Amino acid sequence: MRKAIKAAFFGLISMAFVGSAIADITFVSWGGAYTASQQKAYIDTWSKGSGVTVESYNGGLGEIKAQVEAGNVTWDVVDVLPDQAITGCDEGLFAKVDQSEFINDMVVPPVSECVVPQIFWAYTAFYDKAAFPGKKPKNIKDFFDVKKFPGKRGIHTWANALIEMALVADGVKASKVYEVMGTPEGIDRAFAKLDTIKDHVVFWSAGSKPLELVSSGEVVMSLAYNGRIGAAILSEGKNFEYIWDATVLEQEYLVAIKGGNEAEALEFMAHASSAESNAEQAKYIPYGPMRKSSIDIIKKGEPWFIKEGGNIDILPHMPTTPKVLKRAVIADPEWWADNGAEIHERFGAWKGS
Amino acid sequence: MSQTQSSTGPILTTDGIPLKVSLKKAERINKIRAFLLVSPLLIFILVTFLVPIGDMLARSIDDRQINTVFPKTFEVYKKWDRKGLPSEEVYKTMFFELKNSEGYSVGKASTRMNYSKSGWKSLLKKSKRKFKKIEEGPYKEQMIAIDKKWADPEYWLALGQMVDPTTMGYYLNAVDLKYDSSKNIVQQKENRRIYNKTWIKTFKVSILVTLFCLLLGYPISYLLATLPMKYSNLLMICVLLPFWTSLLVRTVAWMVMLQQKGVLNNLLVMSNLIADENRFQLMYNQTAVVIVMTQILLPFMVLPLYSVMKTISPTYMRAALNLGASPMHAFYKIYMPNSVPGVSAGCLLVFIIAIGYYITPELVGGKDGQMVGNWIAYHLKTTLNWGLCAALGAILLAMMTVLYWAYNKIVGIENIKLG
Repeated sequence: MRKAIKAAFFGLISMAFVGSAIADITFVSWGGAYTASQQKAYIDTWSKGSGVTVESYNGGLGEIKAQVEAGNVTWDVVDVLPDQAITGCDEGLFAKVDQSEFINDMVVPPVSECVVPQIFWAYTAFYDKAAFPGKKPKNIKDFFDVKKFPGKRGIHTWANALIEMALVADGVKASKVYEVMGTPEGIDRAFAKLDTIKDHVVFWSAGSKPLELVSSGEVVMSLAYNGRIGAAILSEGKNFEYIWDATVLEQEYLVAIKGGNEAEALEFMAHASSAESNAEQAKYIPYGPMRKSSIDIIKKGEPWFIKEGGNIDILPHMPTTPKVLKRAVIADPEWWADNGAEIHERFGAWKGS
Repeated sequence: MSQTQSSTGPILTTDGIPLKVSLKKAERINKIRAFLLVSPLLIFILVTFLVPIGDMLARSIDDRQINTVFPKTFEVYKKWDRKGLPSEEVYKTMFFELKNSEGYSVGKASTRMNYSKSGWKSLLKKSKRKFKKIEEGPYKEQMIAIDKKWADPEYWLALGQMVDPTTMGYYLNAVDLKYDSSKNIVQQKENRRIYNKTWIKTFKVSILVTLFCLLLGYPISYLLATLPMKYSNLLMICVLLPFWTSLLVRTVAWMVMLQQKGVLNNLLVMSNLIADENRFQLMYNQTAVVIVMTQILLPFMVLPLYSVMKTISPTYMRAALNLGASPMHAFYKIYMPNSVPGVSAGCLLVFIIAIGYYITPELVGGKDGQMVGNWIAYHLKTTLNWGLCAALGAILLAMMTVLYWAYNKIVGIENIKLG
């Protein structure tokens, strides 16, 4: 009898340790509609998905660095920006991954050895059609032209994308932007252009804010994340219009944190970065997949975006279509990893002066 | 015989041990017991308070990241006269130390080097990748062929700031100064001078908020303390209800109130007090920060004031009035001095909280309302320049300590009262 109890007891304990069918990982992302799309596209579709705990954060490597340094890693997979993907990989915060499956299928090569592809998202300008009954703004020059289109502009509180956009508005070709930004004169030129709208800007830092600013008429046009604009048009029926010019494309990646549950994290990331998962996500949010084959899947599958009462074509809302790409700037995370801190301080001085 | 012995020798307890020893023993046990009782708290304070602060202070001067990765380079570097480009020997040592470095040390070092001169980060990364192909010297030309930055003396000069294992560089950075290549202290480039302005702004906002909290809080607390219970309870709820509401909710509510197309401006336009195109700009600037922070921090002023005013006996005022003082005079001479401990407690509390505020300025500060806390958060999260964060934090801590010391000298800390 006693033996039997003992056996049952150890049996139970070993069951707790030996692999169960559900994963035990924490996935950290940006929250809101974006995380909801990730949940539907590749957490719910993963066989071990019910074991994934989802948390939100506001970006940055601070928390991750603190966890790794303290040896108490509670996050396993994190959704990061490309310059953070570079810095985190360099500093040994992230685990290296096998990239052979997707490396030849990506629109741009991966920024570091630690990442799997997620999406392209973009900073782009937009307005409410009702705000311009007559002539409508068509390009980034119009965004920077307060005489032609009077009224306030919404811009974000950090310098990324603003430097690029200001230069294009000042006449630099989109493909030459980083060449110009490599020189001190180029940066001066960008700030001089920003000066022209300085007295007409309202700053935002939360992604939902620009939509609110434009809706309420607080500003006549604003920069925003394209996915947020798309969601407002597609799901809330807002009367917004994109200005697809000097759109700044940013990459988004998934990384596994070193010292977390790396084995299951990598398994999850493999699933999340498959061409099917990447395409699947576009059913719920209009961000652009980073894998070429995902775009083909969507093209064949249109209308792809899921909506009650009939699906909608998603490609017109995506920042990665050839039409948009022709006039877009693909952000260079390496440039920002190098110069971000200096530019941000200068931008802070510009804001405060 | 036995009597004389007991009067001259030590007093013994029944078991023959001297009373003094026995007493000491009993007391020691008590002391140990008392110590054990407080030790959880002591350890808690040590672990959660003193150790992190110590770590922060250490980080703010620590500059070993690079010295451990490029020790030999720095040795030959020190011999360089800082004119033109360094010699082949420096290039060669740098080449081998970079090529043979392992793990993530280079990544960490390059992050640090990038603080001194933007561009080091990608330079080291790219070079390390390409150095694998280089087998033999001379190294100088080959390195320059890989990246022109190696021929830019600015990069080499920037290394001069990092030759010592400790640095005051972060502190200098926090007050818009920096080292030049030979470690002289010079002013930061003009378009990067932001911290001094931010310090002044932080102080200005904190002082204004404290002042407004006092002006608004004093009458409220007076009413709270003097009204009959049934009204004062209601008033107390009015003070506490916002106190219990989430900070974010209150901040966002203010945004709705104050923005250009917000409630207040709409009311003013509707009542024809201002024209539609002259709406006040009350949101996304310093004004907004002061208004919103005042409302959020008001309870921290009201509560200590109230608890002190509650203890001021009404008979004092009655006595003064009875003796012929005018109400104003009696208030000024009797009530105010008695409420000073509450005023100082409230002001100190509000000021200390205000000076480190971060979330409200972030949300409503717009372009000129950012405080020191916002920069700490930025460097903590985005640039990972924790050394600078630590320096900014340490300066805040030092300022508070000085303030506390000055306060103690002028008012006396025993005059502070929370109830």
